[in-house]
Amino acid sequence: MTGRTLKYARSIPLALGLALAPQFGSAELAKLDDGALSDVSGQGGIYLSGDVSINELGGPIRNGYFGGCEEVGKKCGARVAYRLKEDGGWFVLDDIRGSFAFEGLTLKVREINDGFAGDGQLFNREVVELGLPNVVRYNDVQFKLAGSSTARPTDPGFQQTDIFSIEMQGDVTLEGNLLVFPTGNP
Amino acid sequence: MARPMTQTRIACLTPVLGGWLGLAAMPAVGELQSLDDSMMSSISGQAGVTLELDLQTTVDRLSYFDDGNGIHLENVRIGSATDPNGGAFHKIDLDIEADGSLNLGYLVEDRRIEFEDVTLPGAPGVGMGGLFFDHNLQGTFRLSPGSTLSPDGYTFDSAYTMTGGRIGYRTNGNEVFLDDITMDVQAMGVTMDVVGDQLLFTTPELIGSYEVGAIRYSDNPLNHGSSTDASTGLELPSYGGFKGDFNLSGETYIGGGGRVGQEGIRIDSNTQINSANFIYLDDGNTLGLRDITGHYNLTDLRIDVDKDWNGREALALSVGGLSGAFNIGRIELGNQNKSLGRLNVSFLFQDQVIRGQSYTNALYLMGGGHADAGPQGLRLGAQWSLQLADFSYTEDNNRVIFSGLQSWGQGDVTVNVTRDEVQNGTRFFDGLRVGFEGIKGGYRINGLRVGDENAPLQGGTELLLALGFYPAYDFELDGHLTLGAGGASGEGLTINSDVQIRNGSAALIANPYDEGAGEIAQTGLWVSDLNYDMHIRDMTVDVTDEGLAIIKGEAWSTMDVGNLRVGDKSSGASFGRFVVQKYEKGSSMTILPGGAGDVCAGGMGSDAASCEASGGVWETRGEEGVTVRMKHVLARAVSDTRKNAFTWESNRQLDGSGNPINDSGMKLVLNDIYTSDGGDFDGDGVEDNTYGIQSDIAVDVYQTRVVKKEDGADSRGVVGNRGDERIMDAGAPEGYRYVANPTAADMQNRPLGFAVQAEARFKELSINNIDLVHPIGGAQTAVYGVKMQNFDIKANLTATPIQ
Repeated sequence: MTGRTLKYARSIPLALGLALAPQFGSAELAKLDDGALSDVSGQGGIYLSGDVSINELGGPIRNGYFGGCEEVGKKCGARVAYRLKEDGGWFVLDDIRGSFAFEGLTLKVREINDGFAGDGQLFNREVVELGLPNVVRYNDVQFKLAGSSTARPTDPGFQQTDIFSIEMQGDVTLEGNLLVFPTGNP
Repeated sequence: MARPMTQTRIACLTPVLGGWLGLAAMPAVGELQSLDDSMMSSISGQAGVTLELDLQTTVDRLSYFDDGNGIHLENVRIGSATDPNGGAFHKIDLDIEADGSLNLGYLVEDRRIEFEDVTLPGAPGVGMGGLFFDHNLQGTFRLSPGSTLSPDGYTFDSAYTMTGGRIGYRTNGNEVFLDDITMDVQAMGVTMDVVGDQLLFTTPELIGSYEVGAIRYSDNPLNHGSSTDASTGLELPSYGGFKGDFNLSGETYIGGGGRVGQEGIRIDSNTQINSANFIYLDDGNTLGLRDITGHYNLTDLRIDVDKDWNGREALALSVGGLSGAFNIGRIELGNQNKSLGRLNVSFLFQDQVIRGQSYTNALYLMGGGHADAGPQGLRLGAQWSLQLADFSYTEDNNRVIFSGLQSWGQGDVTVNVTRDEVQNGTRFFDGLRVGFEGIKGGYRINGLRVGDENAPLQGGTELLLALGFYPAYDFELDGHLTLGAGGASGEGLTINSDVQIRNGSAALIANPYDEGAGEIAQTGLWVSDLNYDMHIRDMTVDVTDEGLAIIKGEAWSTMDVGNLRVGDKSSGASFGRFVVQKYEKGSSMTILPGGAGDVCAGGMGSDAASCEASGGVWETRGEEGVTVRMKHVLARAVSDTRKNAFTWESNRQLDGSGNPINDSGMKLVLNDIYTSDGGDFDGDGVEDNTYGIQSDIAVDVYQTRVVKKEDGADSRGVVGNRGDERIMDAGAPEGYRYVANPTAADMQNRPLGFAVQAEARFKELSINNIDLVHPIGGAQTAVYGVKMQNFDIKANLTATPIQ
């Protein structure tokens, strides 16, 4: 759009525009209803539903630190460690587990050349549209945030301080569309 | 026993007839069948002339001329297959019946027909390579006056058995050949008539079977048509064997007159595949294409000695049209009698214009092959034009059709039998080398149809990405694929390959190119301005007891996407440049027949009751489908080209034409991504890396739940409320309706989609560093290492194409 941004929003529970350049920061996008889709071309796409679980029974490592979820005293979740200084400590997301389910995530490329209180006509270009599922159900999603002296918990000198834990349970409402389009200088 | 030599002119009758019959038998497939004794006795002569001879014939050059242009078979020989200086035994019983029919009974032993090279005057010093054909033949042939069309025609009845056969192709002392061929063929009631200025051959029924014991490779110039190596005495390596049977019928018109000039050959034919089976054998394990039926029509095939579009002299085969369809009833893998499902393909090769350029279907055969591989080889100047094809996959009676496939292009394909060596700076490998030189082409798919051919066109072709197949692709292709003999153990394939794609555009998401009102610009999400280098070393392919096993020795690639565009592939807005580098050692993939079977979606439980008690949905996805087990072992970086890395570059400077200049913008680099087992457990001083990223993916075509996301009318005017389920209904105006509370019967008519059960796990996945790179200031490391451990991700997903 290079200077032309969708400006007007209408009843947006959650409408996101993800742009890979900063000028999109001021944009607000309105969701299109099914009928409005008939005004645009190239309506193919896919509709995704399903459930995803992480380390439901444990991961593939079995050692003094990691084990099956039935093993007392061992962690069965996944672990991510990263560091921002060359010789610094490691930020850790540890014991990541849980599952979530969704229904109706859609993916398509479509042209916006109408709607949005007239802004669509000015916009007049294609976007990648992620149609968000109405509800995402989280079940026992949990992880710990920690600081560690080493990347692996099995490395010599390993010390770790768990800072806090997060647990998620229940439904998250995600409505509307996530529109992804390039802007700025490629 | 010394056998008398006889006149060559008479003796040559048998090879001519045998050759003609051999050509007729080529499409055959299946299980071996014996000839019917009563049928044979009815056409055997009881009295007449018996001829016996040992035939040894050599011809320095045999030439065919078309409008003054010649093509030459060099050093033609007919003689013994086992003794280069010996003759082939022939015995012919000949008699004429009271109705005037000519009866031949023939026995041929130890015969080789071969020529050492095929040359064209316009290409001195190079040739296409040589062919040899060894065989024993026993059969009968009856020629009767009169046909079904006319008393002036002829009727042929033929039946023969070939044993101990070999057919080989030889270039520069290396050869690939079909070994230990056995074939039985019966063609009764074949008629020949003159229709207009053409000969018409009508074949009411051509039935037969064949078996090829092995496809062998030799790199020893001392070997020629032998199953064992002349130097070592060891059996030559094998690609595996195959067998099959067939039942065909059809008619063929043969006339004079080529595409150019006054002379040449024209062939038109139509063939019905009444039944056929094909089975590939690898150490006794099978890949079977069973219950094949179909038909094809060949229109206006012309054979000329002509020049190609680059003015190179060649044997030219050009086709007016080729259309047809075939159905493979079962695709079996392994020895457990499991099927992937059913495949159906319809196709039409015909001239077309793509983006202003005309394409046709033609093949120009020239000598030479790859320029560095030696003087012998085959170069095919090829142009293809697939105007329309649909291919459908059916498993457990659920069918998905990939509709509107078009393809076009032209370029050179070279074929050489090569050995492991470096010649003139080019690396060659053991095997049959298929080279690509300057091939410029593309393909595109219009969309998906679910259920049958008349279903509405839908999106979803991007689901093919899971198989590594882009929904649309334009490319310029160079490189080679060398197929070596022998797999991970015993028979099988070993593949070495180097392929480069230049100036490509591939769709990640593609909208239709024709929505029913004519061609439109195909929009989507494109990897454009694509340069892609791919290299594979020692990748083995084997059919095993349970499926198809592929083990990569070493593989590395660089996929440089100049622009990731949304919209039009050339002018759509760009997200910037993306470079994906891969380097794997010891990765593998196994393809298994059968999908997920019984699945508890959204819950846990091993039966319907426990699954539903946990809140899940118990699904019985059937016996067919496909399961893929993959292991990606990401190796540590050893050089700038052999590593795993991801780069995103944007804000590039523009050249005078407004095109972004690579390496002039800001980059985000995820450098040296690798897997590990998490330690040096075998004590060799190097961290173990054998586990990799392991993924099991089971795919079924299955009914999926699709709910309406908004109240009101949808894009086709069908009204429903948010949360209503879409139910397919042939009686509804748009083919479906929305239902708030679907019944059990409604649920049997849910839309078809792809149901995927997947599990991915890895012990350790690391990123050495994440850098931000300024074009002048250089790299600044933002993250000094990322280490992910102990992941096991399971998913039950359904992907449904939508409009």
